[in-house]
Amino acid sequence: MAETRSQYQAELEQLEASALGGLDLVSAALSRTLEAIEHQDVELAQQVVADDDRIDGRYLEVHQSLIALLATQSPVATDLRLISALLHVLKNVERMGDQCVNVCKMIPLSGNEPPSDEKMVKMILAMGSQARALIGQAKRAFEGRDVELARDLVRQDDVVDDLNRDCFRLALEIGDDADRREWAMTMLLAARAIERIGDNAVDIGEQVAFVVTGLFREFEDASHPEATPGI
Amino acid sequence: MRLIARQVEQRLPSTPTSEPRREPQGRDVGNVELKGLHAYYGSNHAVRGVSLGFDSGGATAIIGPSGCGKSTMVRCINRMHEEVAGARAEGEVLLDGLDLYNPAIDVVAVRRTVGMVFQRPNPFPTMSVIGNVTAGLRLTGAGKGEIEDRGREALVGAGLWDEVKDRLEAPGTGLSGGQQQRLCIARALAVEPEVLLMDEPCSALDPVATLRIEELIGELKERVTIVIVTHNMQQAARVADTTVFMLDGQLVEIGPTDKLFTNPDDERTEQYVTGKFG
Repeated sequence: MAETRSQYQAELEQLEASALGGLDLVSAALSRTLEAIEHQDVELAQQVVADDDRIDGRYLEVHQSLIALLATQSPVATDLRLISALLHVLKNVERMGDQCVNVCKMIPLSGNEPPSDEKMVKMILAMGSQARALIGQAKRAFEGRDVELARDLVRQDDVVDDLNRDCFRLALEIGDDADRREWAMTMLLAARAIERIGDNAVDIGEQVAFVVTGLFREFEDASHPEATPGI
Repeated sequence: MRLIARQVEQRLPSTPTSEPRREPQGRDVGNVELKGLHAYYGSNHAVRGVSLGFDSGGATAIIGPSGCGKSTMVRCINRMHEEVAGARAEGEVLLDGLDLYNPAIDVVAVRRTVGMVFQRPNPFPTMSVIGNVTAGLRLTGAGKGEIEDRGREALVGAGLWDEVKDRLEAPGTGLSGGQQQRLCIARALAVEPEVLLMDEPCSALDPVATLRIEELIGELKERVTIVIVTHNMQQAARVADTTVFMLDGQLVEIGPTDKLFTNPDDERTEQYVTGKFG
């Protein structure tokens, strides 16, 4: 049998690379976001906000091309699952970029020399670092169609979730100073945004499992934890 | 089933091989089962031991690359295969449990019960629209009134009545390609088949006529078992409840159409439906 549709296959591979490349853009945005938090760098934060257009542009470009493939090539089976998964991945990439923007927009609010708490800053930086590791792991899992690596994202995300809870406890104990409390509340919102980035990475892992197995199942179902499959 | 069973009863009144006749109940007729079917063109072994079932009340699509044996397999169901010089078939083709290759079976009765529509519309060139539809009926000895009634019903069933009711006596070949194909479907329906085989029925039609035939398949499958051979995988995905993938004369995979086109079990099916070979 002759091999066919090589151009279509090449286009699909290129679109996958572009979609997953969006995770590299997000990872870079998160790195700069963490740096902006650490140094209260308002200019860097503004740059992250401005550069989100690149992530949105990647979303629009790849999304449009995937829709065109659906319309013109009638993909089925693994190709169809891959395109469906890439559409989900793109949405997650776009959301993760937005979360970085959300955090960076808070940095001016906290002031150039805020009454910060070093322990809480370190905790948020640790959260961000872990979330960035999740992004990389999600990308590797997708590229390698590695379901086990994808499932491991849940375990890695637990670290982010635990740190988020720790941040909350710290904020509760921050004291009575109004400025410090305001700063802590702002940082809690930042922590929440980073925690969502971890969740987005897990969502991408679920798409890896869908591409490989053909079955979509949440790794963790918050509304039905008893039904969550073993990890 | 009724017609063929009658043939068997008439010609083999005490045959031990014919299974007890089942009276048609509701739509539970037109169940086709192939058991170890082999088909040959001389030394060319075109179908290699295929066993599968086509259930009543549904449409089944047969897909596969050219030369995989899908048309040959379908042509075995109404014994058209043996019309080719040097062709022969082995194994069993059962219609509601009755072996259609039983030597006592009347082949004409088989083809009346298992109708067929071909790639290109083939209305009888010298006959009118209504003459085409009722050609088979006139051979059954039915009365004039019955012939007219059933001819009209067949045209309605084929979704053609409104378009031809004012020109029933016009030549059948004067219709458009899509209408001619529906005329051929009406001709097959007029003798009340239990199974309708369709071998690439839309390959010579434009997209609109194709969609009309596909809609018709959706309506007909409620009362006739539909088996459609198609090269158009999107057509298979649109019209069939079940899809069969064949390769090199063998059955590779059979399953619900949505499963076969989203998550096939066999790697060869995956390769074929995604267009990685063909």
